[in-house]
Amino acid sequence: MEKKTLVLGVIGSDVHAIGNRILEEALTKAGFEIINIGVLSPQEDFINAAVETDADVILVSSLYGHGEIDCQGFKEKCIEAGLEDVLLYIGGNLVIGKQNWEETKKKFLDMGFDRVYPPGILPEEPIADLKKDLGIKE
Amino acid sequence: MKLKNKKWSLDKFMQIREEVLKQWDTGAEVDLEDAIEYHKSLPEQKDMSKKLIEAKEEKITLTQPRAGVALIDEHVELLKFLKEEGQADLLPTTIDSYTRQNKYQEAEEGIKQSKTEERSMLNGFPAVNHGIKGCRKVIESLDAPVQVRHGTPDARLLAEITLAGGFTSYEGGGISYNIPYAKDVSIEKTIYDWQYVDRLIGYYEEKGISINREPFGPLTGTLVPPSISHSVAIIEGLLAAEQGVKNITLGYGQCGNLTQDVAAIQTLEELAEEYLSEYDDIVLTTVFHQWMGGFPQDESQAFGVISWGGATAALAQATKVIVKTPHEALGVPTKEANAQGLKTTKQVVNMLKDQHFMPNGVLEKEKEMIKKETKEILNRVFELGKGDLAKGTVRAFEAGVLDIPFAPSKYNAGNLLPARDNNGAVRYLNHGNLPFSEEVINFNKEKLEERGKDEERDPSFQMVIDDIYAIGKGMLVGKPRT
Repeated sequence: MEKKTLVLGVIGSDVHAIGNRILEEALTKAGFEIINIGVLSPQEDFINAAVETDADVILVSSLYGHGEIDCQGFKEKCIEAGLEDVLLYIGGNLVIGKQNWEETKKKFLDMGFDRVYPPGILPEEPIADLKKDLGIKE
Repeated sequence: MKLKNKKWSLDKFMQIREEVLKQWDTGAEVDLEDAIEYHKSLPEQKDMSKKLIEAKEEKITLTQPRAGVALIDEHVELLKFLKEEGQADLLPTTIDSYTRQNKYQEAEEGIKQSKTEERSMLNGFPAVNHGIKGCRKVIESLDAPVQVRHGTPDARLLAEITLAGGFTSYEGGGISYNIPYAKDVSIEKTIYDWQYVDRLIGYYEEKGISINREPFGPLTGTLVPPSISHSVAIIEGLLAAEQGVKNITLGYGQCGNLTQDVAAIQTLEELAEEYLSEYDDIVLTTVFHQWMGGFPQDESQAFGVISWGGATAALAQATKVIVKTPHEALGVPTKEANAQGLKTTKQVVNMLKDQHFMPNGVLEKEKEMIKKETKEILNRVFELGKGDLAKGTVRAFEAGVLDIPFAPSKYNAGNLLPARDNNGAVRYLNHGNLPFSEEVINFNKEKLEERGKDEERDPSFQMVIDDIYAIGKGMLVGKPRT
């Protein structure tokens, strides 16, 4: 089966690079084609990369708390660019401060993300979800 | 832009200054003469340089948090709480991430949304947008020195506004606020822009106002070997001193092995004194950063990490310690959590202030190796610059002679791979293009082979990943997951 393509990056003015590198390594090992646009990436860079590479999934990381502002209107822009079928995953410290996780998760699901992850999880969890969502058999 | 490690003439500085002050409209408020007068009017207890000199003489370790929110009144309330409830000796103002990227329009939007949402939508204090008046309101409301802490590659306007606003200490540097904080800014540009900041502080110094300068020690905060952060700290200290900075605090981020961490703080001071000896009247102090990598989510476990950092800082006799909070794994802490981290640290630091880490043979060996590694790197940097440190630094990054692990910058070679040895000390698994002697290479190799044997696996990138996750999962060394 053809490899599924994932756009990976850290959104906004966020420079947290470690998790990004670990995710690239883990996702590549799991058999995905990774387009890593790295840290400090505006919404447009995710969208352009997804259009150019005909990506199946966009994975957004945000660790510094501005995720809430940075992701405003992201799904709408994806739709405008013809990416309505591209899956949107996001994970990290998505809001400022320690807030109720279920509420944070709901906030991002309402914004149009398909999967929302809390901080501190290992790459295995999103990898299992990706395989499920993309219909990849083990 | 002709980069040289040479003190800027006042003319050159003033010429560039005109452009810098136009970057945002609050820049027009800055008047250097007024700023000098303002600093002269401030009481002594707000003077960071003085407070650090006293602590150095008394051999005590001062505590300092990180903290910043979007709005002025809330920011003052937060810092007051950390001073009173958290017993912080020194105060910070952490700058938000939009300001760090010079995105003042976005910071403005964050201020607006923070007002309507009635909670901070920014992860720090947007000092440029608040201008001199906003900064002075903060300074006047507090009775401790306040430092600007950020992560800004081009921090020139931020420096102009905050220093004129009464801040007495400024963190950062042309390497330490570029390579870990940017992906696309040349090292040549940031060294040049930080020469401006240092020259500004040199100007204050000439007028009798001593502003403390602190290069950012921990860099990427993840498995950075001491000789890497020492090399950067010493280079930035020297570049600052050349522009007339006198009060310098060099930093180091906790690795986790007590002997290595004590050796690191001691050698940082000893090496820096040696390298800075050509400059007169420099006062050197040290800052120890509690664990900068991934934290456990469980708050009790997080207090364990915080305490160990506090203990190490005290035993190493660092002049100050930057404190983490039990919310670290989840992002920006509440003021209560921040105060808890401070009080935990204060308790440990007070208990250990009269105890010293005794030489034990292992400490001496560790110190010897850190010094050897650092000197091998720095010698090559000077060689590459044909004696000019600024040029040498640019060339050293191009050649991978200076290389910072896990950094986002494309101007960083990224060939290094660090890993812990069997005792948890950070070693070079792959030293990339670092100009190391056989002795240094073999020392690191043997240490890691010892661990590999113990874990029945060859040292590899998986070992490094395990080490990155280890403290978050309750261990120091990332033993294989079962």
